Amino acid sequence: MATLFRVVLARIRACFRSGDLDRDFDQELATHLTMAEDDKRRRGMTRAQARREARVELGGVTQLREASRAARGLPWLGTFWLDVKLGIRMLRKSWGLTLVGGLAMTVMIAIAGGAFSFFDTAFRSQLPLDEGDRVVALMTWDAETNRRRSPSLPDLERWREEARSLEDIGGVQTIEQGLAIADGPAEPVAVAQMTASGFQLARVPPLLGRPLVAEDERDDAAPVVVIGHEAWRTRFAFDPSLVGRQVRLDRTLHTVVGVMPEGFAFPVNHRFWTPLRVDPSRYARNAEPAVFGFARLAPDATLAGAQAELATLGVLPPVTVTETDEQLHPRVAPYSLALVSTGEENLPVFAGLVLLIVTLLMVPPCANVAILVYAKTVARQEEFATRYALGASRGRIVAQLFVEMLLLATGAAGVALVVVRLTGEYLQSIITMTNGVPFWFDFGNLSIGTVLFAAGLAALAATLAGVVPARRATARLMQSGLRALGGRTGMQLGTTWTALVVAQVAFCLAILPVAAELAWGTLRPSILGPGFAADEFLTARLALNEVPRTRPSLEIDVPVRPIASRFADLQGELGQRLESEPGISALTVSATMPGSEPWAIVELDGVSALQPPGGGPIDDSDITVLFNRVDDVFFDTFEVPLLAGRGFSADDFALGRTAVIVNRMFAQQIVGDGPPLGRRIRYVRSAAGSSSESDPWYEIVGVVDDLPANTYRRRLYHPMAPGEVNPVSIALRAGPTSANTAARVRELTTALDPALRVDELRPLDEVYLQYQRGNNIGAYMLAAVAVSVLLLSAAGMYALMSFTVARRRREIGIRTALGAQPTRLLAGIFKRALTQVAVGAGAGALAARLLGIYLPIEEMGGWSVPGILPAAATLMVVVAAFAAIGPARRGLRIEPTEALRDG
Amino acid sequence: MTDTRSPILQGTLDLMVLKTLEQLGPLHGYGIARRIEQVGQDALVVNQGTIYLCLVRLVQKKWITAKWGTSDNNRKAKFYSVTKAGKKQLQAETENWERISGVIGRVLQPAERS
Repeated sequence: MATLFRVVLARIRACFRSGDLDRDFDQELATHLTMAEDDKRRRGMTRAQARREARVELGGVTQLREASRAARGLPWLGTFWLDVKLGIRMLRKSWGLTLVGGLAMTVMIAIAGGAFSFFDTAFRSQLPLDEGDRVVALMTWDAETNRRRSPSLPDLERWREEARSLEDIGGVQTIEQGLAIADGPAEPVAVAQMTASGFQLARVPPLLGRPLVAEDERDDAAPVVVIGHEAWRTRFAFDPSLVGRQVRLDRTLHTVVGVMPEGFAFPVNHRFWTPLRVDPSRYARNAEPAVFGFARLAPDATLAGAQAELATLGVLPPVTVTETDEQLHPRVAPYSLALVSTGEENLPVFAGLVLLIVTLLMVPPCANVAILVYAKTVARQEEFATRYALGASRGRIVAQLFVEMLLLATGAAGVALVVVRLTGEYLQSIITMTNGVPFWFDFGNLSIGTVLFAAGLAALAATLAGVVPARRATARLMQSGLRALGGRTGMQLGTTWTALVVAQVAFCLAILPVAAELAWGTLRPSILGPGFAADEFLTARLALNEVPRTRPSLEIDVPVRPIASRFADLQGELGQRLESEPGISALTVSATMPGSEPWAIVELDGVSALQPPGGGPIDDSDITVLFNRVDDVFFDTFEVPLLAGRGFSADDFALGRTAVIVNRMFAQQIVGDGPPLGRRIRYVRSAAGSSSESDPWYEIVGVVDDLPANTYRRRLYHPMAPGEVNPVSIALRAGPTSANTAARVRELTTALDPALRVDELRPLDEVYLQYQRGNNIGAYMLAAVAVSVLLLSAAGMYALMSFTVARRRREIGIRTALGAQPTRLLAGIFKRALTQVAVGAGAGALAARLLGIYLPIEEMGGWSVPGILPAAATLMVVVAAFAAIGPARRGLRIEPTEALRDG
Repeated sequence: MTDTRSPILQGTLDLMVLKTLEQLGPLHGYGIARRIEQVGQDALVVNQGTIYLCLVRLVQKKWITAKWGTSDNNRKAKFYSVTKAGKKQLQAETENWERISGVIGRVLQPAERS
């Protein structure tokens, strides 16, 4: 192995001093010849004899020099470089193929590379911390439901004392608290209540002061807080004397004891840390807060070893809940994976599958490019025949075409990586603005893995688009040999390739309407807007926090009466105060902001969720709806017109009410042609879980227009009494000056009650814009795919027409000479090719129609466009006509004498 | 007249060159070629040019080193000498050759009559 390495190294070095080594070798051979000559003359030969004999014994000097070059350097490098130069020249010459093929490859490599980059970032097992791959998450696994649970504090405490393979065991919970500096208004911030071991585990020293220490966790310790770099910059203007000062978190004064350096956000994306009081005796059994457990593997310990040890330690049997300890098992998982996973830890397998699928998606566009390359290769038959006659092997010709395609694919991969990088940066900016990302997520940077993956895809694309057609085309060359020279009339595209072109046309026409409808459905809201003056609305989340609430909870809040009634009073009072403010004309409260409602599956009376409603356009088995709870002025505030029935009356807000209002899309799609009013619906399943037979039926009392408009979403509105849901979404109609109102809203809220917090205060149009940005990326990708398929299809048709003209060149010449009318002649010539294209278009139109019927376009976020199929067919006709122009002009320019001579 | 000389067995030229350099010390290409011809007593066909290709290979493997010097006849020549790694390789290849030639010899020997 070492010898091989030495040889490779020596050969690489030799490539850089080829001239010196050549001179060296020549001199050595010259010395040899002189010595041999002297020797022979000493043995009595004449000078001429000696010289001739010496040269014969040595062998040909030129051949020896060539052989020595091959032996000492990398001979294939020269050939490769020659192929590269030739490839660049050919790609420039066939610029149509370069553009169309390059675009198709770029789009597909960008999609596959983007998916790889996403998974690579999201499932990266190494945190950007010292020995980050040894940081693990601790959880409790429920074997019955196959779901993870937060470890209980007593278990965490026990593992901390007894586990030997884990160190720095600790836990964290995120709570939202109002941060007030001096006597200023409180602003909501996410605070990590974390054991001091989190700082030990991260091994990141503070920038100022100290991190949290174990003593801070004691009950009698003074309240302290550690602040992140970003908070230090934005809220304290890099105040160097911050350590020792006090800030208020909710109602408690905390002393700032340290500032962490830039980039530190452990455990997820935190900026404030307070000590977690882990003493289990503080809490009633089974009433401890849910925490996220973490630890670092001890030196020499392995993940499997730690898992085995924790399995031995087990979990404490619960006191009141029904699970037994046999169902609950401790589990140790790589930190980053545990955080993004919601179920069984098979994410890498899932990611692998997705990557395999996106890689396979490369095959159709590459096959399309292969058609074009094949057509080009057949057209270059003469060139290859000449080279073959001059001694080039078939392998050399195939290798040259491979290099040509490799150049194209490498260029495409380069552009694709730039696209992936820019999209990643864009994605990162969107996520950072909305929810914040874990500190180890960095979509804006391309990893080496992504670059290698793209390189692999380029090699695959070059093989599919270069080697396969080259082998087919040269196989023919091997048979015909030199007869290919001058035999232009013998050029044929071949049945298989013609069939592929026809299939390509069919595929293109089949997917064009679907792609257009999906892209239009996605882009429509951002182009046409939400249908109301969203820029006049300010939206925010309003919460009354009596008990610290964990952030990631997905459960619907169970209303607790005293808090609920207090929240109701505060809402009323806040509403009055806000409406008396200048500029604010209306306030409405709903469970979620319009446009971000949760989904559920419902059934309609007489129509099971598992059966399509009779005669309705929905043929999907699930009737998915978005649902919201709204107050009595919701529809008036957003000026949503009532289309049928009535709005919510005061009675509807009483307990046990069953009235619901649906939107226009719901009425159209679910109820169909029948009258919607009076129909009853029931929840089958929602994000929170499945329903049972005892769940109530709701009656549709009214139909309102879509809010926001321009989407196909079906919506269902329930009445919501004040205080019933906590937190709620509020929307203020504040006019165009809404930006100035934000500070006033915050001020009024804090003044009412410090526990009442308003956050995520933003103009509604901004929120919509942000939602839309992510969706638009998908739409643009889809549009790029559709355009590249269309271009490939056009190029395929062009190749077909070109071959038809080239093959019948002699016939055209003779018939022109006999006085045939050029246009009629061409019509006849193209008849066959156009019939083939028409067959493809017919099959494509049929497939598009079937897709239109059976594909739930609207469920997928599309928007059906009337007449899209005839429009797509017309587009294909136009494209076919354009593809025929070039070959037709060439056909008309054929000189009879030339054609006859060539033939 | 038929040529009774044998071509050099494939792969054995490296061994012969290494052995020559080990026995005679630093030597130029012509000297190596002459020495192999002399030892072969005109029974071997030695294409002298291939000796130089063999020398390129051995230098790449660092089994021999090359240095320009002056010959006895006062001519500038490139002298090759065997390295420590080359000596080790020579020993291994010599043992291998002896084993194989022994086996081939035994196979080709006429069977003893009992």
